[in-house]
Amino acid sequence: MKRAGAAQRLPEPPEGEPGARGAATRAARRTALALAVAALAALPWIGNTVLVQFGISVLLLATLAQGWNIIGGYTGYPSFGNSVFYGLGAYGVAIAMVQYELPFWVGMLLGLGLGVAFAGLLGLAVLRLKGHHFAICTLGLALVMTAIVSNLEIAGGNIGLVLPLLRSEVLFYELALGLAVLATLTVLWLSRSRFGLGLIAIRENEEGAAVMGVNTTFYKVIAFMLSAAFTALAGGIYAYHITYIDPVGVFDVVLNVKMIIMAVFGGPGSVLGPVVGALILSATAEVLAARLTGAASLFFGIVIVVAVVFMPRGIAHLVRHIGPAGWRYFIDNVRTHRL
Amino acid sequence: MENILEASGLTKRFHGLVAVHDVSVQLRRGEILGLIGPNGAGKTTLVDMVNGTLEPNAGDLVFEGRSVRGLPAYRRAHLGIGRTFQIMKPFPGMSVLENASIGALFGTNGGERSIGRAREQARECLAFVGLGRRIAQRADALGGPDRKRLELARALAMRPRLLLLDEVMAGLNHVEIEEVIEDIKKVRDQGISILVIEHVMKAITSLSDRVFVLHHGEKIVEGSCGEVLRDPRVVEAYLGRRRR
Repeated sequence: MKRAGAAQRLPEPPEGEPGARGAATRAARRTALALAVAALAALPWIGNTVLVQFGISVLLLATLAQGWNIIGGYTGYPSFGNSVFYGLGAYGVAIAMVQYELPFWVGMLLGLGLGVAFAGLLGLAVLRLKGHHFAICTLGLALVMTAIVSNLEIAGGNIGLVLPLLRSEVLFYELALGLAVLATLTVLWLSRSRFGLGLIAIRENEEGAAVMGVNTTFYKVIAFMLSAAFTALAGGIYAYHITYIDPVGVFDVVLNVKMIIMAVFGGPGSVLGPVVGALILSATAEVLAARLTGAASLFFGIVIVVAVVFMPRGIAHLVRHIGPAGWRYFIDNVRTHRL
Repeated sequence: MENILEASGLTKRFHGLVAVHDVSVQLRRGEILGLIGPNGAGKTTLVDMVNGTLEPNAGDLVFEGRSVRGLPAYRRAHLGIGRTFQIMKPFPGMSVLENASIGALFGTNGGERSIGRAREQARECLAFVGLGRRIAQRADALGGPDRKRLELARALAMRPRLLLLDEVMAGLNHVEIEEVIEDIKKVRDQGISILVIEHVMKAITSLSDRVFVLHHGEKIVEGSCGEVLRDPRVVEAYLGRRRR
């Protein structure tokens, strides 16, 4: 108690002035991140095939978590419809390459167009719902899309489509890395732009934001489309990499749940949180699957529950606030959230 | 003096309940107009219709010579209508500075494009209401009176031409009320027209150029402070009819 009182009487620190020290740490941080990306890019030439395979999967998941972060973390709309954009991206590539024998990048553009256009139309309709209503509505949509695509001849019905085989793990890895970096840079821009502040205002109090001049409908729909863009591109890379897709596989709600868990575990509304969340949870799942096989899901569940109870605001918040409080950070979380 | 706001025949019904019925009122440029009335008289509903939070069922609303009926709230904010809420609507997870910055970034004429300049503007407004030392705090860490101040600073950061103040003094002590009264006078001196809803009579009498009274959703009197407060209909609305 004494400590808390002392902390309150401290004078307020000046708000983030870009002083010489701030600039230096920022430059250092930027260099560290650039080095990390360079090291990741070099991984295929250092690591083995297993590691590269794992890398592709983590990077795609990181992109998905980051995509969800835009609509769920920044704007505050818990979307369960992102798996639809993923499926549309995957089918865009598959249909272009299989049915029309077009090159891969044309398929990516088609998938991107499908995902973004669908997000725009859908957003105008369902982004007027909030909270649970929005979540349930988008969830229903994912199920509907599976049924629709299963009945489309051009999409191969419920049998699915087999794509041409490309044995170049390195290419897929670098593509996935590029996309994850692009998604993260976009979120970084969101975190310090007028547009991103508008989204955060919507999340914090939508009516208040509108009264202060934020065009809430427009901002929400653009955020949804942005989220869909990255999700669809990830779906496109996945389709070409896995070479076979069917409706149940790519319009999978479980994948959407994964995105949410990773983004929330890492820290929704933060820049690096979703990426770190995707990495840690994928690695945990991988290790558990190797060691425990059958009981892996059980332990994975325990990891999630423990995380939600002790650090409900994610790793990003933990890293920033654990410093002086130490282990009491966790106790305080349990207390304030009455768990 | 020309009118900045002209409401004519505004009516709002919530299913069977008529919250505001056929209210016409003009606000002159640069004036402070007091709006009083007993609880449930429809004061907040009227303000909601002016800034676009609610759409009237009938009537028209002209702001600076053009009808704003049917325009969404954010468009009216761009035109220069700012407001505070009786039940405050801060952005709880944002810092005090960020809260006010949103007003500067998106307010009148679509707001500032540069975050730096918006912050500067927000800082000035926060200093003006006396929150200069709290800019780095989270909005949900503020106490009641400071939240009221923040609500006012957020509206001011929008650089409005018309400011609608919905009970900004509720819950403040005498000293704080004096401060806010002085602040509002200074705001008016900058040329901003103000509509103020207040239960604190001292604030109404020392601020308002004119006062109008709503009762059961209808305008019963309009005029100078002295006239209105002596009017038997106003006394009756607040205290009831004397039994004979």
